[in-house]
Amino acid sequence: MEVIWFAVFTVLLAGYFALEGFDLGVGLLLPVLGRTRENRDRMVAAIAPYVLANEVWLVAVAGTLFGVYPLLEGEVLFGLYPLVVAMLLSWILRDAGLWFRRRLGGSAWRGFWDAAIAFGSLGLSAGWGMVLYAAATGFHASPVHPLGLLLGMVVTLLFAFHGWTFLGWRSPGTFGVSRPGWVLAASALVAALPALGVLGGAMPYLLEHSAPAATLSVLSVMVLPVAPIMLGAQVWVWRTFRPGKDAFRLPSFF
Amino acid sequence: MDVLDLARTQFAVTGSLHFLFVVLTLGLAPLVAIMHTRWAMSGKPLHEGMTRFWGQIYVINYALGIVTGLVMEFQFGLSWSGLSHYAGDVFGAPLAMETLVAFFLESTFLGLWIFGWHRLPTWAHLACIWLVTLTAYASAFFIMMGNAFLQNPAGAVVRGDRMELVDFGALLTNKALIFAFPHVLGAGLFTGGMVLVGASAYRLRRKAQENEFFSRSLRMGVVTAAIGIFVTMAFGYAQFGAVPEGKFGGQNLAAAAPLGFMIEFGQLLGLVVLFVMLPMIKVLPRARWAHPILIAMTPLPFVLSILGWMAREIGRQPWMIWERLTVADAMSPGLTQGMVTASLIGFAAVLGLLAVVDYVLIARVIRRGPRDLDLGATTREEPRTPALSH
Repeated sequence: MEVIWFAVFTVLLAGYFALEGFDLGVGLLLPVLGRTRENRDRMVAAIAPYVLANEVWLVAVAGTLFGVYPLLEGEVLFGLYPLVVAMLLSWILRDAGLWFRRRLGGSAWRGFWDAAIAFGSLGLSAGWGMVLYAAATGFHASPVHPLGLLLGMVVTLLFAFHGWTFLGWRSPGTFGVSRPGWVLAASALVAALPALGVLGGAMPYLLEHSAPAATLSVLSVMVLPVAPIMLGAQVWVWRTFRPGKDAFRLPSFF
Repeated sequence: MDVLDLARTQFAVTGSLHFLFVVLTLGLAPLVAIMHTRWAMSGKPLHEGMTRFWGQIYVINYALGIVTGLVMEFQFGLSWSGLSHYAGDVFGAPLAMETLVAFFLESTFLGLWIFGWHRLPTWAHLACIWLVTLTAYASAFFIMMGNAFLQNPAGAVVRGDRMELVDFGALLTNKALIFAFPHVLGAGLFTGGMVLVGASAYRLRRKAQENEFFSRSLRMGVVTAAIGIFVTMAFGYAQFGAVPEGKFGGQNLAAAAPLGFMIEFGQLLGLVVLFVMLPMIKVLPRARWAHPILIAMTPLPFVLSILGWMAREIGRQPWMIWERLTVADAMSPGLTQGMVTASLIGFAAVLGLLAVVDYVLIARVIRRGPRDLDLGATTREEPRTPALSH
């Protein structure tokens, strides 16, 4: 049962990197590819239908961390206190930017929230690299280490590349590239590699620190039957918003 | 303030902010779902308009529910790692279920609903908002299950220096859960109903053209508020059988005061809704003298909701888990004043500002009425704003 829940945890975290990775990547690229307001509108509209279904993977990661690895939850989050707070604030800014940018008409208003999306995405992407570095050292080293910062840059670049690939898949040609589905899948895998690597290394430790069998069986009975529905809902999102001529239908809600 | 007070303040501020938005989400979700159902069945523009207008208010409100909720989820590990260390094997389960079974689906279906306009077939689109409502209620259930465990740690035993789950059924049937959960749902309906009433009264008072639109909304709001406050009061009083002795006793005045205020004003409001507004439901849309009063009543359910949580949570002090673990012991060991102060300022400032912006945006939607809505907009309706102004 520990192995099943380790697999669930791995799928959730890797899924977060693979899916939310391109949302963050597109956010990072806003100042680069979105010089005009029209282009930024298109970029945000391209990710808009996916964001709610993608970011929730991290909420699920945190919930699973609490339920399956309760002893680690406090240690990990508290051990990285300033970083976690900074990442949460980044996440909040990014989300607020998405929800608010189109609620008023003015250019300054939308520009301000677009900047919030870009900064929030940067904070989250770089933060993830540093978290992974700290995790690789068993949370003994401070994440603000040259290697941590380097990994932060690597994750940021990976996400940006993934976001660029996503734009090429969802609206071929609009941003200079067009990418078939398998390339997007490959870049998703690459974006998830850092997380997979760290989780692979931490596997024995995580298995050893799982919640007791009684807790895991309750979780299994309650959660695993719903897993197909969760998966089905995600598939439904991808089927509904697949690329086509109206890949970014404007006006979009975000 | 010492570090414990600061950490508690942070949880109280973020938790209260979270619930202000969540309580309206819980109330509006079923109402929007009903409106959408009517639209799907009749195909009338009136029902479409109601779905989009109240739906837009619902989703703008939802944004702050999400971002405050994110902080809530991570705060357990940041400030209260003693709780997960001592009782994570029990308390973690409902939280994990909330994220996996409820919120994961809620967020996914909400995205489908918001962006599925003109894309999804009518009935699939309608199913999305009902699934959002269902999972929102499930979410509330699991969170209340976690909270009820803190109030009354049923179903677990202390083994060594940690708590262990022995009876999941006892978690489900916790006496601190079974009455409190409907109480919260009732409060949500009451809040959603009163927002419909207040906003409709505002539009009617301004002699908006959409007379039928807002007369209907106002009547729907009155009925919902009446059902909501009845359920809230009934399950509120029913809870007293489950309150442990001493929770609101002499030395716990800080919990007894909000409880007293909530009961007194809640009862008064309940009488007004059930015995004045409900009988007058036919005339209220035309009773212009009553509209300022109805508008002024809109904030009251929010105040009452926060008072209710204050009573429940302050009443638990000094326990994190009733008679098992104190709040002081639950705090993360090594947490410093500097850490909490910095994060408290950061979260309070950012979330506080966003909350204000969110309410201004909601007020703006109400002031402008049901036109130029973003939710469900089609290309035809697009740019009212100059597109070339960058």
